[in-house]
Amino acid sequence: MALLAVKGLTKYFGGLRAVHDLSFDVQTGEILGLIGPNGAGKTTAFNLIAGFIHPTRGEILLDGESIAGMKPYAVTRKGIARTFQIVKPFRKLSVLENVTLAAFLRFPSRGEAESQARQVLERMGLESKISALAVDLTLSEQKRLEIARALATQPKLLLLDEPMGGLNATEIEQASLLVRDICKGGVTIIWVEHVLKAIMNSSNRVVVINQGEKIADAPPEQIVENPDVIAAYLGTKKR
Amino acid sequence: MKKIVIALSLILLFTAPLIVSAPFFVHLMIMVLMWTVLGASWNILGGFTGQVSFGHATFLGAGAYTTMILYLKLGIAPWYGIPIGGLVAALIALPIGFICFRLRGPYFALSTLAVAEIIRLVALNWESLTNGPVGLLITTLPDVTFRGRSIDWENKIPFYYIIAIITLGSIVATYIMSRTRLGAYSLAIREDIDSAEAIGINTVQARVAALSLSAFFAGVAGGFYAMYLRYIDPDAVFSIALSIEMVFIAVVGGLTTVAGPLIGAIVLVAFGEIFREIFLVHFKLVGHLIFYGLMMMIVIRYLPEGIWGRLRLRFGSQH
Repeated sequence: MALLAVKGLTKYFGGLRAVHDLSFDVQTGEILGLIGPNGAGKTTAFNLIAGFIHPTRGEILLDGESIAGMKPYAVTRKGIARTFQIVKPFRKLSVLENVTLAAFLRFPSRGEAESQARQVLERMGLESKISALAVDLTLSEQKRLEIARALATQPKLLLLDEPMGGLNATEIEQASLLVRDICKGGVTIIWVEHVLKAIMNSSNRVVVINQGEKIADAPPEQIVENPDVIAAYLGTKKR
Repeated sequence: MKKIVIALSLILLFTAPLIVSAPFFVHLMIMVLMWTVLGASWNILGGFTGQVSFGHATFLGAGAYTTMILYLKLGIAPWYGIPIGGLVAALIALPIGFICFRLRGPYFALSTLAVAEIIRLVALNWESLTNGPVGLLITTLPDVTFRGRSIDWENKIPFYYIIAIITLGSIVATYIMSRTRLGAYSLAIREDIDSAEAIGINTVQARVAALSLSAFFAGVAGGFYAMYLRYIDPDAVFSIALSIEMVFIAVVGGLTTVAGPLIGAIVLVAFGEIFREIFLVHFKLVGHLIFYGLMMMIVIRYLPEGIWGRLRLRFGSQH
């Protein structure tokens, strides 16, 4: 059974068809890349899975159990954590407190939650920053904090919304390693990204959406040769 | 150092009316402490969770009316009525919270204003329960003997000790909240409500819990207010001006701090009262609102974290 199964997912914002009849599966242990041109509906699909918006139609199954229409906190408790495209740290709280708050979900006592948070921060390479305020971190560090906070809720499935956005080439390289490392640690990942090189190098499979519909679902090396995908990104030649 | 400061404050709190026992000063201190409780109440919601309420008089009024009605209609003495008033306010906060917290930011703030007006109008028109615009009056308080002596309710000092205990309770509750998961979750909600949801916090539940705790203390203060003044009417306990004054005290003192509301109440209520006297005597004007306005402007411009919010770092305190 797939870890996550999305079936016929549809979302209308008034007359705007943001996501239409989207279906795909995610297997345990995979890194699934989700790409598409601007406005294709990637973030909407994310928000639907994470419970931030409710679907007009369609089904979302986690381990066979329906989670469509659940509130975000309930989805997180079921084992899906997310990051935000535009980072949303608890700005005036320390890095440690940011992650400890997330660790409270599985560890009710502060002592245990803090030690869990320290472990996650160490994995993310933020151990030297634990007493800094989140607002004082660089963008690259804030992106890692965002991932650390999601991981501290001990998810089965991690939704990364453009973790590479705004990072330089070196940082992208490091972040790719980090994502693969998280996956090796037993967390399945769906990854929305504009930096195609990073996605192509790290994903097991890529789903491409355009204008709210799925146009391709294949391993990365096949995606780059898919004529529909090329057309969606570059347009078609006039004949 | 910290322990010494706390011990000295406690000694001062419980001996102050013995040092200065002139009725005007005792009255002033009672008002300062009552407003400390109201500021602390507003701080628990507005400071910690960042949810701005412009309608906290609702809970003050609920406590005041509960205490009054229990005494006048059922003969239940105010010292039982005051905590019951707090509980009633906390209960009323539940449906208000579950409805209003569907809204965020300024929309929530406006909804609290609307709810406060609705409740004020209900109190004004439900004459069989509240006596409507005529209000409720207590002529005599029940007899109580303390250490073999009957307490003289014409003297203000017994009231001082009652409000001193309530104030202590509100400060201790704020301190405890700042150390528990509810306090930590509240700060997460204040900082970013989407992120708070994303890490598994039921933000509606947490906000309702904070609102209910906050309402409890506003209700207790309201019950005390009714017993101390012995007369209430809807405009006296449900007015928007009271709601706004709670905001002022919490903000001027310092949001999310434990001691902030006390500092805010001392500065605004005590100095406000002194300015009122000066203006009345010299200019025949009710001038303390000018002082409030000036203090707000100075604090917003130069001390956005509040007076105690700034000072506490100097004293090396986190509270």
